[in-house]
Amino acid sequence: MNSALQRQLRRSAKRTSLYIVLVGILFIIIFPIFFLFSFSFMSDYETYSEWPKPLVPSFKADFKIDKDTEGYHLYIFNKSENDFMPFGPLFFSNSEKDVSNLRKFIKLQANSKITDQKIEEYLRIVDKESKVEFSVRKDLLANYILFFQVINGAARAVLNSLMVAGATVVIALTIGGMGGYAFARYFFKGKNLLKLSVLFVRMFPAVSLAIPMVIILARMGLYDRPLGLSLVYSVGQISMSIWITASVFMSIPISLEEAAMIFGTTRVGAFWHVTLPLALPGLAACAMYSFIGSWNEVIAAVVLTQFNPTFPVVVYKALVGSQGQINLITAGSVAQAVPAIIFTLIIRKYIIQMWGGVKV
Amino acid sequence: MRITKPQLSLSRDNRKKMVPYLLIAPVIIYYTIFWLFPVLNAIVESFRDVDGIWTLGNYIYIFKDPVFYTALFDTAFLVIFSVTIEFVLAFGLALLINTKFKGSSIFLFLAMIPMALPAVAVGAMWSSGLATRGWLNSFLMHAGIIDDASKILFLAGGEMSRLWLIIIIDAWTVIPFVMIILLAGLQGIGADVREAGYIFGGTKFQVLRKITIPMLKPTITTAMILRIISAIQIWLIIVMLFGFNRLPTLLEQIVLNYDELGAASFERIGLALSVIVAIIVSATAILYLKVSGSFEKKKEQEVE
Repeated sequence: MNSALQRQLRRSAKRTSLYIVLVGILFIIIFPIFFLFSFSFMSDYETYSEWPKPLVPSFKADFKIDKDTEGYHLYIFNKSENDFMPFGPLFFSNSEKDVSNLRKFIKLQANSKITDQKIEEYLRIVDKESKVEFSVRKDLLANYILFFQVINGAARAVLNSLMVAGATVVIALTIGGMGGYAFARYFFKGKNLLKLSVLFVRMFPAVSLAIPMVIILARMGLYDRPLGLSLVYSVGQISMSIWITASVFMSIPISLEEAAMIFGTTRVGAFWHVTLPLALPGLAACAMYSFIGSWNEVIAAVVLTQFNPTFPVVVYKALVGSQGQINLITAGSVAQAVPAIIFTLIIRKYIIQMWGGVKV
Repeated sequence: MRITKPQLSLSRDNRKKMVPYLLIAPVIIYYTIFWLFPVLNAIVESFRDVDGIWTLGNYIYIFKDPVFYTALFDTAFLVIFSVTIEFVLAFGLALLINTKFKGSSIFLFLAMIPMALPAVAVGAMWSSGLATRGWLNSFLMHAGIIDDASKILFLAGGEMSRLWLIIIIDAWTVIPFVMIILLAGLQGIGADVREAGYIFGGTKFQVLRKITIPMLKPTITTAMILRIISAIQIWLIIVMLFGFNRLPTLLEQIVLNYDELGAASFERIGLALSVIVAIIVSATAILYLKVSGSFEKKKEQEVE
């Protein structure tokens, strides 16, 4: 057999096995996330009355109504039983009250919107043909809407989270950016110490700083306010920003600044007109990175908020305190995760570059 | 005027030297107010009781408490195994992505998603999955691997099975982060150095061991230190899966004392525990830096 063919065969075998491994890894990564999203679209009935639970949410719910001497009976199609199962009240009449209660029940349990008129129409068909089967489109976003209705202050918490994250980005980027620039361009005493500050500030548990911080913030009149929380987050985010912006500024040659200064600009002017525009994408990435950091943070926020919790705290309390059903909680989690995932998608190229210059 | 001129240039020179210090001044001021001050405050208060009288009582309470030793063991177990496993897998993954196969950038993004997921979402994901009637058992049943009678009780196992569950979940969450740092380091090395190794007859393994890993050492140290520091402080996922006191770790005990038990005396025990944790974290970090030889290298650099 000729050796070129053999080599080619071996290479393609190698490539195939590489892709098999990759698919395996991707499966492990995506698999749990898929279910997080999947659950967030399921109705209470799908989550709690079907076993094994469906792997994907259905887009509609199938119902059956029939009639005997007691009155009408409602059934819902249960995928795991592969049959119609009794659903809701034991029996009901075609009175206005019963019909509107039925509509509410269907909406709450099956996340399906149906009008009273439509139900009455179906009941008339039952009167004629003794039974009727129909399907109703499921409202996929029902859990998301319900989460913000049921969980107290969830909408307000999103606003708080946005304010906290926004303020943190501003503080961390200005203070950390100045430090990062000094780090990239100058030699000074304590440079190594500054580099290690990222580690120092993490060594004392963040939770443990909360109690003294409560007192400090209360004195400043900032306890339980978004700005106060962002002051705490900034401690960690500043050190991160120093690392990241330092590597951003290092990647911009100092000779460009020098050239600008030869043409008559000041150092400040050179920074403003040459370095900053070049650094802007990297700085934007750094901003998003610290946004994600404070948007996701829950530990300090649990201790440092009382009446104005951030969004992660609301979801955390709903989960730990079992305030809501799991499909509701997954909806809250997804609502929180999506912005973070989108931002990561945007800055994915920079994340690697950001860590490139970072060395202890 | 004639006298002031040289002074002016001198002061300008001085001013130039001042620039980096002016630039880092806000950082230092910020850390002093919002980090150093609360830390000192926490340390001082951990030595006082509710009435403000100096005491070692908070520490004595902790050292007499058997839960503390359980927490210490659990934390050590988690740190040793999760950091090792995470590092090995992340390193393999980074080497793989660094071969720049077709589609590696899409793969990289998908691999980054766990890093972006909020801790709470990770908690919701796994608690909905590992519950007896969760998605993992559902999936296994749909796949025909188990039936209703042989459902796996993931969360009801003994201490060891709980520990390993946390290690696996932590690995799932954190490997992307470690991988990104290592990948960034790998991309900084450049292919030419490794190619030189191959030209001189090195095998793949030799090049990895003799060239890639030594050159990557500063990056590895960074990744490991960051990981060790945060692995010691693991608690949130534990509480979200098991609740308090089912799998005690050091940080979980701090939060329990702070937030759950409520009374002011427990807050002080939480503070004392924080001081202990901070000492453990910094001792481990310094030990790691020493063992990995980072201090010696710094000295060499200074000599140069």
